[in-house]
Amino acid sequence: MKRKLLFAFMAILGLAATIAVSAQPKPVTIVHWYWADNPGYSAQMQKIAADFNATNGKGITVVAQEYPWDGGAYSETLFRAVMGGGGPDTSSFKLTSTPLFTANNLLVNLDEYLAKWKDRDKINASLYDTMRKASRTKSVYVMPWNTQVLYVYYRPSLFKKAGVTVPKTYAEFLEACKKLTMDTNGDGKIDVYGFGMRGAKGGQEPWGSFIYARGGSFENMTSPEAIQGMQDFIDLYKNGYTPPTAPMDGFNEIIANFKSGKTAMTIHHIGSSIGMVDTFGADVDAFAFPGGVGRWTSMGDTENIMLKSSKNKDAAFEWLAYLATGKGQEDWCVATGNVPVSKDVQQLPFFQNNRFMKVSIEGAPYAGILPILDTTTEWISTIWPNTVAAALGGKLSAAEAMRQLQTGLWGK
Amino acid sequence: MQLSRSQRLKGDEMRKNKIAPWPYLLIAPALITILTVVFFPVLNAIFMSFQSYDLRRPSQIHFTGLANYLSAVQDPLFWQALLKTVIWVGVGVGLQFVFGFMLALLLNRKFWGRGVVRSISLIPWVTPGVLIGLMWRWIYDGNYGVLNDVLTRLGLIKSNIPFLAQQSTAFPMVILTIVWQGIPFFALMLLAGLQGIPEELYDAANVDGANAFQRFFSITVPSLRNTIFVTTLLRIIWVANSVDVIFNLTEGGPAYATQTLSVYVFNKGNTLNLGYASTMAILLALSLAVVAVPYLKTLFKSQEESE
Repeated sequence: MKRKLLFAFMAILGLAATIAVSAQPKPVTIVHWYWADNPGYSAQMQKIAADFNATNGKGITVVAQEYPWDGGAYSETLFRAVMGGGGPDTSSFKLTSTPLFTANNLLVNLDEYLAKWKDRDKINASLYDTMRKASRTKSVYVMPWNTQVLYVYYRPSLFKKAGVTVPKTYAEFLEACKKLTMDTNGDGKIDVYGFGMRGAKGGQEPWGSFIYARGGSFENMTSPEAIQGMQDFIDLYKNGYTPPTAPMDGFNEIIANFKSGKTAMTIHHIGSSIGMVDTFGADVDAFAFPGGVGRWTSMGDTENIMLKSSKNKDAAFEWLAYLATGKGQEDWCVATGNVPVSKDVQQLPFFQNNRFMKVSIEGAPYAGILPILDTTTEWISTIWPNTVAAALGGKLSAAEAMRQLQTGLWGK
Repeated sequence: MQLSRSQRLKGDEMRKNKIAPWPYLLIAPALITILTVVFFPVLNAIFMSFQSYDLRRPSQIHFTGLANYLSAVQDPLFWQALLKTVIWVGVGVGLQFVFGFMLALLLNRKFWGRGVVRSISLIPWVTPGVLIGLMWRWIYDGNYGVLNDVLTRLGLIKSNIPFLAQQSTAFPMVILTIVWQGIPFFALMLLAGLQGIPEELYDAANVDGANAFQRFFSITVPSLRNTIFVTTLLRIIWVANSVDVIFNLTEGGPAYATQTLSVYVFNKGNTLNLGYASTMAILLALSLAVVAVPYLKTLFKSQEESE
C-alpha cells in the first residue's frame, strides 16, 4: 500500500513538473533594427531592449542592432536585407517607405493584433489613419512610435547682437536671415551666416516650408508661387546668407555649423534639442517656421514594423507594443525629446514643460508629409539634392528646377 | 603472351582517348565558384537589362526588349556620366601612372631610410576606399577643412573654398583623391619591374655614352613595357568601376558633377530600378571592353614579337 501511495505521489509530482515546464513560455529571440542620431540615443535603445528583456516575463529576448540612417539609405539597406532573405524581425521605419515594402509583400498586416491590443486607444486614431493612407490600403502595417515637427532653432544672443526679434511672418524670416549674416570680429569676413541651409539629402523637408510660405505646394511645383519659394531659397544662398557649403550640407553639417556658431538659425526637429541645450544652455531657443501666403512644416515620423519573415510574430508585437505605449515609449521620448504617440506619455511633466515640445505642438496643425509615391525615395535621395544643387549653383533657373522636381516626383 | 603490334597500337589509342577525371575534379571547385559568383550574376544582369525590373513596382516587372538601352541612349545623365567616366579614368589613371613612376624611380635609388619611405608610401593603397572618402571629405570641408586652413595660412586664398559644394571644384577634388590612392599601386608594380632590369644594360649604355634621358627611354621604358601595359589596364578597369571614393565624398553631386557611370549605376540600383541599373552596367562593361580588347591584343602581339 505504501509503495502504491509513493508511486502515486511520484506520478503526481512528475505530472505537476511537466505542466509547470510546459507552462513556461518558450524562449524566443527578436532581432530589432534601428538607427540612432548620436551615441547617447544608441545607448538608450540598448537600455530599452535590456529593460524589456528583463521585465517582459514571456521569455522574449530582443537583440537591438544599430544601422546608420545615412540620409535615408537605412530604408534601402533594410529592404535589400529582407529581399535577400535576411533582415530582422522588427525594425524602425519611415512612412515614406511603406509603398515599397507593402508592394513587395514584406510587412505584417497589424489589423488583427491591433484589434486585440488593450492599449490601442492610447494612440490617437488619426495616426492610424495616416498609417493606412501611407500603405494605400485599409490596413495598418506600421506601428506608431514617435513624431517630430520641424521648427527653427535660433541663438538668442546672436539675435540680440543683430537687433533681430523672433520672426512672426515669412517676410520677417527672410529679413532675419539677411541681418543675422554678420562679421562679428571686424576682420572683413563673414563669420556668422543667417541660415544653416540643408542642400543635401533630407533638405527637401525644410525647403518645403519656403514653397508653401509663398503659396505653392508639392502637388503643383510649377506654379508661380512655388517657383517664387524656390527663388527665395536660391537667393538666400546667392546673397551669401547661408554657408557656401550649403549645397552639400546634410544633417551633420547643419548641426555642426549651428553648434559651432557658424549659423544663427537652422531647421531641425526636437530630436536635436538635448544636444543643443548641452552646447548652449539657455542660449538656444526655437520658433515655428512662420507663415506667409501659406504655411507648412514637415512632420517627421518614426514607426516600427514587423517583417513577414519573422518566425515569432506574437513576441515581435509584444516588443512593438512596448515601444509604442509601454515604458520603452517614455524612455525613448524622454531621452531623445521626440514627440510621443502615447497620450499617457504626452501628459508627463517632462513633455508638458519642455519649451521645444511647445514649439513642436505649435507647428503640429500645419505639419505634413511629402506625398508618398513610389517615386518618393528616389526623389528624396537623388533628384531633389542634385536639382537644388544645380539651381543654387546657377545651372538651373528656379522655374527649370521646379519643372524637373515636378517631373521627378509626379512623372509629369 | 605477346601482343601484336596492331593490338598494342589500339591499346595506346584507347588510353589516349580515355578521359582522366582528376584534372576536372581538381578544377571543379574553382569553376563552380566562378560560375556561381561571377557568371550567374553577369547573366542575371544581362537578363534584367531587357526587363522593366523595378522593385518599387514589382507587379509591373516584364520583358521590355531594348527599351532600357534606348532610354539610356536618350538619357542626358547617362552621356554626362560617360563623359565624366572618361575624364575620371583618363586623368585619374594618367596622373597615378606619372606620379607612380616618379615614386618608383625614387624608391629604386639607395638612400637612408628607404625601407621606411617604401612602407609609408603604401598607406594610401592599403586604406579602404570608404575611409579615404570620409577622410578627404573632411580635408576638403569648406568650413573646417585642413586644406582651406593650409591655403589660408600660406596666403593663397582669402576666404574658404567650398571644394565639394561647387560644381567647378568638386570633380577635380575627387580626381585628386583617386590619384592619391592609386600612386602606390603603380609605384609598387613598376618598382618590382625596375629591379628586374639587368644593371649590365645601363653599364653598356654608359660605355656607349648614353645620357640619362636616353637610358630612360631606351632601356627603362622598353623593359617595363609589359608591366606598364598590365598595371595600366588593371587600374583603368578598377578606377572605371570604383564607387566607394566618390560616393563617400559627394554621392555623385553636387548637381551630378561627380557622377561617373559606375556611381550612376550604384545610385539607380539603390533606388531599386535594377533593370535600368543593369543596362548601364552592361554598357559600362562594353565600354571597358572597347578599351581592354585592343589593349590586350597589342600586349600579346608585342609579347609574341619579343619571343
